[in-house]
Order: sequence, then C-alpha cells, then structure tokens
Amino acid sequence: MPPHPLSRIRRAAQWGDVRSRGLGMIAYTLNRVTGLGLVVYLYLHLIVLSLLAGGPSSWDAFVQIARSPAFLVLDVILIAGWLIHGLNGLRVTLTGFGIGLRSQKVMFVVLMAVAVVALAAMAVMVFSA
Amino acid sequence: MNSHNVFERRQSPSWGWFWQAFTGLGLVVLLALHMIAHHFVAEGGIRDYAGVAEYLRNPVIVLLEVLFLVTVTAHALLGVRAVLFDFGLSQRTERRISRALAVIGILTVGYGIWLTWTITQAI
Repeated sequence: MPPHPLSRIRRAAQWGDVRSRGLGMIAYTLNRVTGLGLVVYLYLHLIVLSLLAGGPSSWDAFVQIARSPAFLVLDVILIAGWLIHGLNGLRVTLTGFGIGLRSQKVMFVVLMAVAVVALAAMAVMVFSA
Repeated sequence: MNSHNVFERRQSPSWGWFWQAFTGLGLVVLLALHMIAHHFVAEGGIRDYAGVAEYLRNPVIVLLEVLFLVTVTAHALLGVRAVLFDFGLSQRTERRISRALAVIGILTVGYGIWLTWTITQAI
C-alpha cells in the first residue's frame, strides 16, 4: 500500500526541521537551503543577462544599479550562500567517498569557520571595488 | 544512521549523487575563474557592455563560459532532482521528473549559448 500523501510530504520535508537534531542534520539542511537559494539565483541571473542582448544601453543601465550599495548587500548574501554550499559540499563529497567519516563534525566546523573568514574578506572587497 | 558511502547505497539515485559531486568539484574551479574574471579584476566590480564584449572576443573564454553554464546547470538540476526524489515517488514519476529536468537543462544551456552568440555577433 502506498504511504499516505501527508506522511510522504512530512518525510520529504524532514530535512527542513532542525529542532533537536544533531550537527549533521543542521549541515544537511544548510546545504539544501543554500542549494535551493542558489538555483533560484542562477535563473534570476540568467534572466538578467538577457539585458546584454539589448545592447549597451540596457546592460549599462543595469550595471549602474548593480554598483549601488543596496545591490552590493545582496552580492554579499549570495557570496555567503555559495561559500557555505561549496565548502560544505566538499565535506559531503569527501565523506560520500568514505574519507574523513569520523571527523565530519570537526570538518564541518572548520569549513564553516573558513566560510566566515572568506566572507568577511570578500565583503571588504565588494564594498571597496 | 546509514552509511554515507555512495558505493554502498542501493538506491538508483547514486549516479546522480556521483555527477553532482563531480560537477560540484568542477564548479569550485569554474566559479573561482568566473568571480575573478567578472568581478574581482573588473573595474567597479562588474563589466559594462564594452567590457563584456571585449572579454567575449577570446574564443577560449567563450568555451570556458559555456562549460561553466553546462556544469552549473547540471549541478543545480541534479540538486532539484535529489530534493524531489525525497518525496518517495513511484519509479515512473521519478523517470518523468528526470526527463523534464533534462529538457529544462537543455533549454537553459541552449538559451545561454544563444545569448553568448548574440553578443559575439553584435560586437
């Protein structure tokens, strides 16, 4: 007998519930949230790039907006997303191949610390460009 | 908790997992190149139209951009596939999802190539 639809949805959405879960589940959820956010960004980015087909006037008007401080804040959020997703993804890949299974938690904490430091450095670069 | 080793998994999505890891590793290099070329060395953090046109005059760059698009699209859509497959769907529905995502991927890459072509023709 197939599972009840609601229980199926609950099971599929389990990764979104981080209450009283371990660090591993938080890492998994973080990867999915950032991943889905990055998919949305990818398509927004591709749509915006269509302005290039309109020639210099349409693209350069967007460039002016992209250089505004409010837009740069969005850039920093985006960088945070791919730093977290990319560094956490490296851990997932390593452990998927059976490397560092016992040091997953340490790896996660160290990689997220790297993400924070890299984000701070890149935020400075973004606002001083 | 179950083993995380991909080769010990019995479910069908394991090839999807492998390709996601593979494209993910590729993205580390390609995204780094993309960020450097389009933002870190570009004046004002983003290329204006003349800057984009100048950049795309190099055919090696065009190839790298298309490779980046293919890799990032595959990675993104494999991720969406993994999220959807968590719903415990029938094999038939899973096959339909895979096919629909493949079509979306081809359309996405096709759009990117068309856009790149349009810009290189305009300059």
